[in-house]
Amino acid sequence: MSKILRINMNDQSHKWESVPKEYETLAGRAFTSAVVNKEVEPTCHPLREFNKIVISPGLLAGTPAPSSGRLSIGAKSPLTGGIKEANAGGLTGNRLGRLGVRGIIIEGAPPTDTKDWFSIVVRKDSCKIVKTNNYAGIGLYELIGKIWKDYPVKPGIIGCGITGQRLMKCAGVFGNNPENTDPGRYAGRGGLGAVFGSKRIVAVISDPTGGTIPTPKDKERFDKGRTALREALQKHAVTGKLNDDEGNPYGGLKNYGTNILQNILSEGGGLPTKGFSSGRFNGAAKISGEAVHELVDKVKEKFGDAAEGRYAHACHPGCVMSCSNVVPYEKTGKAHVSPLEYETAWALGANLNIDSLYDVAEMNRLCNDLGLDTIEAGNTLAMFMEGGIIKYGDGAAAIETLKEAYKADSVIGKIVASGTQSAGEAFGVTRIPVVKGQALPAYDPRPIRGIGVTYATTPMGADHTAGYTIAAEVLGIKGTVTDPRDVKKADLSRTFQATTAYLDAVGYCIFIAFAILDFDDGFNGMVDTVNAFLGKEIDVGEYGMAILKNERDFNKRAGFTAADDRLPEFFKTEPLPPHNVTFDVTDEELDEVFKGV
Amino acid sequence: METPFSVYFKYHVMIEIHLYGKLRSLVPGSSACEDTVMMVDFVENETFARFVERLGLHEKDLGDCFINGNLAKKNYQMKDDDRIGLFPFNMVLLCGGQHLKGHGYTKEDVDVDYY
Repeated sequence: MSKILRINMNDQSHKWESVPKEYETLAGRAFTSAVVNKEVEPTCHPLREFNKIVISPGLLAGTPAPSSGRLSIGAKSPLTGGIKEANAGGLTGNRLGRLGVRGIIIEGAPPTDTKDWFSIVVRKDSCKIVKTNNYAGIGLYELIGKIWKDYPVKPGIIGCGITGQRLMKCAGVFGNNPENTDPGRYAGRGGLGAVFGSKRIVAVISDPTGGTIPTPKDKERFDKGRTALREALQKHAVTGKLNDDEGNPYGGLKNYGTNILQNILSEGGGLPTKGFSSGRFNGAAKISGEAVHELVDKVKEKFGDAAEGRYAHACHPGCVMSCSNVVPYEKTGKAHVSPLEYETAWALGANLNIDSLYDVAEMNRLCNDLGLDTIEAGNTLAMFMEGGIIKYGDGAAAIETLKEAYKADSVIGKIVASGTQSAGEAFGVTRIPVVKGQALPAYDPRPIRGIGVTYATTPMGADHTAGYTIAAEVLGIKGTVTDPRDVKKADLSRTFQATTAYLDAVGYCIFIAFAILDFDDGFNGMVDTVNAFLGKEIDVGEYGMAILKNERDFNKRAGFTAADDRLPEFFKTEPLPPHNVTFDVTDEELDEVFKGV
Repeated sequence: METPFSVYFKYHVMIEIHLYGKLRSLVPGSSACEDTVMMVDFVENETFARFVERLGLHEKDLGDCFINGNLAKKNYQMKDDDRIGLFPFNMVLLCGGQHLKGHGYTKEDVDVDYY
C-alpha cells in the first residue's frame, strides 16, 4: 500500500498520508509535476520557504521489472524559475519503492538564521529528521562513506553537497551508487541541490530494512511482460550481452556506455566543440567510450583483481543494460570517477577543447564531490573561457577554477557554481548557450534541429532527455520530417516529449527504447508491465501529455510566455562547421509544438 | 620538397575513411583513443554499398555510418574527397525513450538503414 511522506522543515515534523485518488496512477515525474503544480506557488522564491521538494520513485521501482528503478525529484527550479523534474538511477529509487513510499513532499524551511543542518531518515512506516551538522560542509565522497558507517543497512542516499548548501544554482542532487563508492548518480539539472540547501537538508537516507517488493495487480501478466522485455533487451546489439561467443565486444552500452556517442556525434558533425563554435572535435576519440574501455582493459591487465576500472556497470539494482562505468587512474588502477557519461565527457571535454581523459575524469570527480551538475558546470567553465578568464583547452586551469568552489570566501568559486548564464553575463559574453536559464547539453541544435525544438519548447529548459529526437533527425529520416520548414517537426518533438514523460513516470530507464523500438514483443512487454502493475490500461500519449500540461500550466503561471520557448540568437546567425548550417526553425514552428496545450 | 608519396596523394584522388570500434582492426596497430584513418582510392561511379564491399565488409558488420557528416545511404554515389565514418554494428545513435511504437513516426517515416 503506497503512502506519501510529508515533511515540514519549519519545525522538522512529519506525517504519513494515503495516496489520494487523483494520484492513484501517478508516480515519478507524473507525481512530482502534479504536486508541484498543485501545491507550489509558481511565483514563489525557489530558495525560500514556499518552494517544495517532491521526491518520487518510478511506478515500477523496486519490482523485478528490468531497468525500472529510476527516481524523480521535482521542485521550482532556482536556475530556470520554472518547474523542474530531475531524474537519476542510483539506489534510492529501489529503496523507496520497496518501502512503499509513493512520494516525499518537503515543505517549509527552518528560520533563515538557522545554523543547523538536518538529514531525513526514511524507514518502513517511520521517519526521523535528525540534526547532522557533521554531514555539512564536507565533500560528498567522504559524506556517503560516513552515512553508510552510521547506518550500516546499505541505505539509498540523495541530497546536496557544499555548493547546494551555499544555495548555488549549479548544484545538483547527488545520489549514491549501489556500491556506495561514488555519489555520482546525479539528478543533476536545474539547481535542485540548492533547494535542498535552502531547507537546511544535507541528506535523505532510505533504510531498506523490512522493505518488500511491490506487487502488481495482475502478477501473471506482469511476469510475462517483464520476461518479454528482458529478452528483448538482452538480444539487441545496443543493450545486449557484453561479449559475443568469441569473446569480442558485443553490446554497445555495456562496452562503451553512453559515451559511445562521442565519436558518433563528432563524425556526424553535431558535437558542440569549443563553446559551440564547431560540430566536430579532433580530440573526441581520446575522451570517448572506446578510450575508457581501452583504459579499463589496460589497468585490468596491469593490476589484475586490484584494478577498479569497470565497464558494464549497473547504476541501479535490477538494471540489465549496465551502461555505467568506473574510470580508473592509469597509474594505480584505482577508481577515479564513476560514472563518466557522454554528457559529462562532452561538457568538460569537447566543449572546453580539452582532450585529456584524465582531466575530464578529474573534473567529473570534483563536480561529484562539490555537488555540481556536470553539464551546467562544463558550460559555466566555457563561459570562463569565452570571457578570456582562462584559456580553451587548458585542463589544469579548468581544474583549479572548479576547486575554487570548495572555498567559502572565493568569488571565483561562487561564480563557477552559479551556472552558465550568471557567469556568462558577469564576463560580458553575448553567446550564452542556455534556454530558460539552463545550459544546453551535448547536441548542437543547428545540424540537429529536432533536438533544438525540444530544447526550446520543453518546460524543463534546455534538456536533451525531454524529447530525444536525435536519431530521427541525424538518421536523416525522409525529407518531409527533416525539413525544418515542415510543421511535422513540431509534432515530432511534442510526441517524443509526451512519451518520454510517460517513461519518466513509470521508472524505466529511457535506454529501453532499443528493445521496444525494434522488437514488438519488447514493446508489448513493457506496456504490459505498467498496465498489469496498475490493474488498468494506460494510454502512453495521454498519460504523457497530462504531465506536460501540468508543467506548462505551472510555467505559465510563473510568468513564462512563448518568448521563453526560443533558442539564443547566436544559433540563428552563426553557422556551425562542418555542415555550416544555422538553426532556422521559425518561431511560428516552435509555437506549434504546444499550441492549444 | 615533394616525395613520391606526396605527389601520389596530391594527384591521386583518395577517400578518407575514419574507422571506429572493431573496424579499427582494418588498420594494423591502431588504438581506440586515437583517430583511425584509412585512405582508399576513389573509384568512379561507385555506390556506398559497393564501396563497403570493396573494403571487405558486410552489411551486418555496420552500424550508423556517415558520409561528410550525413547518414550514409546504400545507393549514394561516392565522390572524390568524401569523408567516410564507419561504425560497427553495435555503435549507433542512442534513440532515447521516445520511439514508442504506435505514435506513427517510426512506422511511417523511419527508413532505418541499420546496415
